[in-house]
Amino acid sequence: MIDEQMAVFIGSGLRLAVPIIFAATGEMLSERAGVLNLSLDGMMLMSAFAAALASWVTGSPLIGVLVGVLVATSVAAVQAFLSVTLRANQLVVGIGFNILALGATTFLYREIFGPLSRDPIPGFAQLNLPWLASIPVIGPALSNQTGLAYVSIIMVVVTWLLLKYTSFGLAVRAVGEDPRAADKAGINVARTRYLGVLYAGALAGLGGAFMSVADSNTFTENMTKGAGYLAITAVIFGGWNPWYTLGACLLFGFATALQFLVPALQLDVPVALLLLLPYLLALIAIAGLVGKSRQPAALTLPFERGG
Amino acid sequence: MALLELSGLTKRFGSFTALDNISLGIERGEVHCLLGENGAGKSTLCNLIFGVHKPDAGTMQLGGTPLHPRGPAEAIERGIVMVHQHFSLVPNMSVAENLMLGRAKAVLKPQDIIVRMGQLAAEYGLQVDPNVLIEDLSVGERQRVEIIKCLLGDPQLLVLDEPTAVLQPDEIDALLDICRQLTVRGKSVILVTHKLGEIGRVADRTTVLRQGKIIETVAMEGADIRSLVRSMVGRDVQSAGSVLAATVDMEEEAAAHPAAGHASDANGAPLVPEATGQAALRLSDLVYRDADGVIKLDGVNLSVNPGEIVGVAGVEGNGQTELGWILAGLASPASGSIFVGGRNLDGCTPQQITEAGVGIVPEDRHAVACIKELSLAENLFLGSINKFSRFGLLDKSARRKAAETMMREFDVRASSSDVPMSGLSGGNQQKAVLARELSLDPLLFLLAAQPTRGLDVGAIEAVYGRIRAARDTGLGVLLISSELEELMAVSDRIVVIYRGKLVGELKAGSFSREAIGSMMSGHEHV
Repeated sequence: MIDEQMAVFIGSGLRLAVPIIFAATGEMLSERAGVLNLSLDGMMLMSAFAAALASWVTGSPLIGVLVGVLVATSVAAVQAFLSVTLRANQLVVGIGFNILALGATTFLYREIFGPLSRDPIPGFAQLNLPWLASIPVIGPALSNQTGLAYVSIIMVVVTWLLLKYTSFGLAVRAVGEDPRAADKAGINVARTRYLGVLYAGALAGLGGAFMSVADSNTFTENMTKGAGYLAITAVIFGGWNPWYTLGACLLFGFATALQFLVPALQLDVPVALLLLLPYLLALIAIAGLVGKSRQPAALTLPFERGG
Repeated sequence: MALLELSGLTKRFGSFTALDNISLGIERGEVHCLLGENGAGKSTLCNLIFGVHKPDAGTMQLGGTPLHPRGPAEAIERGIVMVHQHFSLVPNMSVAENLMLGRAKAVLKPQDIIVRMGQLAAEYGLQVDPNVLIEDLSVGERQRVEIIKCLLGDPQLLVLDEPTAVLQPDEIDALLDICRQLTVRGKSVILVTHKLGEIGRVADRTTVLRQGKIIETVAMEGADIRSLVRSMVGRDVQSAGSVLAATVDMEEEAAAHPAAGHASDANGAPLVPEATGQAALRLSDLVYRDADGVIKLDGVNLSVNPGEIVGVAGVEGNGQTELGWILAGLASPASGSIFVGGRNLDGCTPQQITEAGVGIVPEDRHAVACIKELSLAENLFLGSINKFSRFGLLDKSARRKAAETMMREFDVRASSSDVPMSGLSGGNQQKAVLARELSLDPLLFLLAAQPTRGLDVGAIEAVYGRIRAARDTGLGVLLISSELEELMAVSDRIVVIYRGKLVGELKAGSFSREAIGSMMSGHEHV
């Protein structure tokens, strides 16, 4: 009984962590390049909606994911244009996008899905890998995931490799720390930052699409519920390191999953409090880390070539 | 045929002509020094060669073919490299990573760069650990990394813009050696400087610039250094006094007139009576630990009398910076006491310290001493904003008037008191800071930390002229500087700091480079 509940808890914790892992991993790379995408939540929400719509229209969840990624990447392109080329305040741009995303998806959802909102959307099946399932306790939790969940972990590895072993990753780090020095070394600062933001957009798109097409098979208004913000927090909590950031995402995922475990164990804790928990954790994490971890020196600072 | 041939180069910034019809040839295998005060056009000339700016008129030829670099990348392609005054290294990346930046193929191969570093180390003695982070290196080592970065591509011409301004004496020696070795291998070096001592040691030829024009180009063999100074400054050095001589590193001049022009030279005691009978500054058993608990100041005892300039000599990083923070109220000592004019200032805020009569010229002019975005007038009255407030509103015209008086008195040159501080030259910024601090009322004690860093000769003279004048009216001054020649020329007394302890003291008249130098490196004075 307990085992089964633990499996459900771990399974749902992982499932809830996946979109945050996607978004945080991309955001981490973008922030290492010096651009903060506060619009992450908006990118995810737009992608979730676009993926749901495309999957519903075409009947293919894969096309849904691709459309979601495309939409989020387009939003990222605009974000990059505003914050890199026009040197707009990155925080203001991000907030603007989030409000726009919430308004636009809510409106379109009511217009398009309104009468059909009960219909499930074509989604991915779970993979059920037998060799994974044979691991005790966590096995079933690990194997009862959609393919996209595994992709999220692959993206963490890919991002880590990119940052550590490629000249693109070196350029990203240089541009986020000291764009002036990078510029003098012949790095195209704007191009590197654009790529960073687009990378964040694409991954946020995967995260958003996962929510609607792979996880819940439906779209609901404001379905990200601040997952993008949690992802930004996870990046800070993880000290801009891909593995620690992954750890922070898992922590947030499991904290969210407690709302299923605690009632199942018949513990007398108000559910509302449990819903609050990940956000409270995020706040504590940030407060506890102030001054300890070092952010990229040029984070949120636009670059302008000068004498 | 010279390697680099400049003819008729002119560059204007707005209505200001930075370079006026410059024609010059740089030979293969020579060290060519550009000598001139700040604003003479040295850096502009380098920036034209390196492609940072484009000339308004004139042509350049490199190795017989025209040179029109549209940016640094094109200059580098043609074999011209430059070490800028401000380093362009990413602080929290390793040496190898910095060297790979902008050069590496898709996948990083640190091994390749380490092999190339080994070659350069063997060829020029440029040794640096490839795995250490830039932020953990000393300034001299960082510069070595910059030079290695320049040499990776085997360039023809190396441009060094004021490379020695930030270096310790032994590091300067090493750098000049490298310049010589480069020329032995057929490369040419353009060395920008305003220190004559260096020129005498390394230059084959020297070109003197003043106000954007070439005054003269001389071969250094048998050249008269004094005449170079005259060309550079536009007047005779003798009249300029010992400070100028010291700053241009003419050692024999500095040694000949220690503390020249000081009213108290004869008997070594200040002529100004000690009005209060109290020391301007007294530190007793001052101990400071940094955030990691490392002891940075270890029982410092020191008095500065009214009407006395006490110089603090020491290799950077021996506690001078921390001493400056504590006196400014920016850091609190672990134990010990500070007295100014007999009054205990332990635990006082920066504002209380200012009110007690302490003027501070901080080490980091850009970060601490002024707010670059605010106007000159605003900066001049940063600490006394309320002085010009009527019914809570700023009286700008009164402030402007006061600012203009101060600008006149302290010779701060700017088109108006409303220009942003960032529009002023370093020398004028420092004069403004000095004006603000010396105008405090009351003023008992002045801390001047590295007050001449990055300034040109004229400004250095002006700064020390001011400090001396204030000393003569009874101010106690603590002067922290890494320029030993300047300290010896200006101070009435020099104390030497080593690893947070004061290890020795010398009075004016008994200063010697050797004695101070050996104490600075930790050998107790005998």
